[in-house]
Amino acid sequence: MKPALSLLLAVTLFAACGKRGGAPKLTIALMPKSKGNAYFLSCEKGADDAARELGIDLIFDGPTDPDPAKQNEIVENWIALGVDAIAAACENKEGISTALRKARQKGIKVITYDADALPDAREFFVNQATVEGIGFGLMDEAARQIGDEGEFAIITASLTAQNMIAWQKKIEERRAAKYPGLKMVALRPCDDAKDKAQSEATTLLSAYPNLKLIIAICSPAVPGAAEAVKQAGKMGVVKVIGLGLPSENRAYVHAGVTQAVILWKTLDLGYLTVQAAVAVAKGELKPGATKFVAGKLGEMKVEGDSIVLGQPFTFTKENIDQFDF
Amino acid sequence: MLLLLVLLAEWCCFAAVGRRFGTLDNTFDILRHSVEIGLLALVMTPVILTGGIDLSLGSLLGLCAILFGKMWRDAHLPIAVAAVCTLGIGALAGGLNASLITGLRLPPLIVTLGTYSLFRGLAEAITRGVDTFTNFPQSFLNLGQERFAGLPTQVWLFLAVALGVWLLVHRTTFGRSFRAIGFAPEGARYAGLPVARRLALVYVLAGAVAALAAIIYTARLGQAKADAGVGYELYAITAVVLGGTSIFGGVGSVHGTLLGVAAIAVLNNGLVHARQPREVAGVLTGALLLLALTGGTLAKFLAGRRARAHFPAR
Amino acid sequence: MTRHFRELSVAAALVLLLLVLAVAAPAFFESQPLLSRLAREAPTLVVACGMALVMICRQIDISVGSQFAVCSVCAGLLAAARWPLPLVLGASVLIGAAQGAFNGALIAALRLPSIVVTLATMVIARESLRWGRQGAFVNLPDGLQWFGLAQRMGQGVLIGAAMLLLAAMAWAMKNLAAGRFIYARGSDAEAARLAGLRPRLTTFLIFVLMGALTGLAALMNVVQSPQVDPKSGMGLELKAIAAAVVGGVAVSGGRGNLWGVLAGVLLLSCINPALTYLHIEAYWEKAIQGAIILLAVAAEGVRRRL
Repeated sequence: MKPALSLLLAVTLFAACGKRGGAPKLTIALMPKSKGNAYFLSCEKGADDAARELGIDLIFDGPTDPDPAKQNEIVENWIALGVDAIAAACENKEGISTALRKARQKGIKVITYDADALPDAREFFVNQATVEGIGFGLMDEAARQIGDEGEFAIITASLTAQNMIAWQKKIEERRAAKYPGLKMVALRPCDDAKDKAQSEATTLLSAYPNLKLIIAICSPAVPGAAEAVKQAGKMGVVKVIGLGLPSENRAYVHAGVTQAVILWKTLDLGYLTVQAAVAVAKGELKPGATKFVAGKLGEMKVEGDSIVLGQPFTFTKENIDQFDF
Repeated sequence: MLLLLVLLAEWCCFAAVGRRFGTLDNTFDILRHSVEIGLLALVMTPVILTGGIDLSLGSLLGLCAILFGKMWRDAHLPIAVAAVCTLGIGALAGGLNASLITGLRLPPLIVTLGTYSLFRGLAEAITRGVDTFTNFPQSFLNLGQERFAGLPTQVWLFLAVALGVWLLVHRTTFGRSFRAIGFAPEGARYAGLPVARRLALVYVLAGAVAALAAIIYTARLGQAKADAGVGYELYAITAVVLGGTSIFGGVGSVHGTLLGVAAIAVLNNGLVHARQPREVAGVLTGALLLLALTGGTLAKFLAGRRARAHFPAR
Repeated sequence: MTRHFRELSVAAALVLLLLVLAVAAPAFFESQPLLSRLAREAPTLVVACGMALVMICRQIDISVGSQFAVCSVCAGLLAAARWPLPLVLGASVLIGAAQGAFNGALIAALRLPSIVVTLATMVIARESLRWGRQGAFVNLPDGLQWFGLAQRMGQGVLIGAAMLLLAAMAWAMKNLAAGRFIYARGSDAEAARLAGLRPRLTTFLIFVLMGALTGLAALMNVVQSPQVDPKSGMGLELKAIAAAVVGGVAVSGGRGNLWGVLAGVLLLSCINPALTYLHIEAYWEKAIQGAIILLAVAAEGVRRRL
């Protein structure tokens, strides 16, 4: 009994040492798709910057395991907590919309970022780039790398991740429309783990001897695939492109193993998301607006209910050293 | 008893720290979030009482969820019929576990480890990983999202199942036989208990209740996907052990399990109100589990010492 | 023959699979990817050997995945701080052994059930690591990969080390008194105690050994690429237990053979690449693995009945 109680006492003290009291600041709750992901870690850094600049309270929390219901539970907890706005990156479009709609009913402002929910569940979607921009961009880059004919493979995080499914659809759309000579021969999941991506890529290289390119659409898979190509001695023969963080891929890009890493400025994404959330919470950003000023990012265009950060950015040998995330 | 005090202590701490913790809305949230895992924990209790374990319940939840969605969307069965069929499928899956465990006398840990992969794998294969079922009719969604006579709808179902399982375990000869089997399986057999049939009962029941949990989960989320319920069996086992049931079998109670479920649910919810990240909930749950185990052992040790003091050996 | 029925049947299944691949997808046997795959599985083999010992002792350890991740990240951080490789290796093994000792102390001294204790330590280790690291990779210094050797050499060293360890442990289990204590403890702890062996000490040391092996395996994994992913080791406990079970180790204790574990590791690790080579969709992987585990265990049950 004693150890359990003392543990709880410790928790209480610990928790009480946290934010409390003072003038009621705006509370914005930011949710990644899952915690323990370096991509969202860098979004959080940007978000922290914005929070400090605007003088608001930022809660950053997300599920630590892949069960789809966990995001809903966190949102519902935040509803009970009474936050002012929620900004969520949605793992399951329809599932999380159930909870987000409830939040809106209770007067909490809801926006989404990185991966959208259903349109009636949120006011705005902060998109780093459109799904089309990403999917088409990847396919175009692939064609730029290997020409009009050839085989390529895609490594994704898991077969059930919905925004990756959306990107895959756009990649296929672009391929069918513009590059029918390019064939996708395999789609393998890597469970969002670099080591598994490396194993999958090693096998792909051997099972498909005519493979010319690997597109890695989840960030741990880009260095994983690159390492596999390097170890197989096929640098330059099999090209690697993907969506990943510059910091994780710098060495491979310089060595010529990875040709291009496409991403967007995740720090800016996090920053913009919090700016937008605060603007919506304060009532400064309303549906129908065509632009709003997002702190140091300046004036951002608002298209319908989408706030777009910009186009995806391609990191190559020439420019990758300028970025630190 | 101990756990009840821990639960009360948790509640008081969080109510002190979080502004909105003690509200009715929040309490309903806690209830609603714990129904699926609570159901699994409830039905895991008789399984563990018999000295067994069922690691496949979370995967079965996922499989039943997508089969339910498939029957409704692709086979165009009315929701109620699809639900009943799903319960049947859950029972059948439990039957698979049961037949391997009782028929071939295989260890439950390994059999359910195999079905843990198999069920999840079937769910992924059937949906090809990508398929998800949504757009259920609102009347169905109300099961998971609305209230009925004051409480969230699914809580009534949960209470009914809880009552049923409690009666089964504590008030019937079946329940006593579970404990006997867990305590001494060979002895139970010699005493004439139909061990195989009783074991089959607990695993089939576990499968059926997992299917029920799958239906409620789908209603709550409004979506059925192949990765539903990942990790739920471990939460369920944690709740059961916290509640005082021995993993070796023979000792335990359903009300203990309910307290265990409540303790974990309150902890998870309360930490959000205390503005702590998710990881803290995980660490504290693990620590609580260890404390509960050592506490039990410590209590027995102290009782032993006291007994020896009373009746000193020569 | 019947004594080693399980191990032989797994080996037979493996040979069958390899034959199918030889005919349908001979590219499977290309040397570089094959070597890469074997090197990748070497850490799993090491952990599976440890798990086999734990299971023979009638215990189980589901925290090895988290232990592996913790050791990997610590080893990576130490290496990045320019510690020399032998010290990094020693540190990794020690950190693993410490985690194992914690498990062992609770299980042996307090007689707590191993499944629950290791469930708790798994969650605590995993969540603490995630909290601390937040998913960030650890970038390793140059010269650490493959122990600074050439790639093929390094892969060979890893595979050789794993096999050597396996052979040494298999020999020890058969010929050293300590090995036979483990079988005794697993078969009947009470009888073992009465015979003068010390079951609790045996149990404690088994978990320490498991932790140490996990630390070793973590380092074997770290040297295979220039970055450490804190997610490494996810699902490792499942792989190790499945390999042990398929390889004939009985979860009820007292029975098992490390060569069977080798066959189990090889068989299960071939499934995923086999699917790719045979151009079968990825989503069948889990179902097939589950089916294999069940078949292996059911075959054992049927055999005992006959």
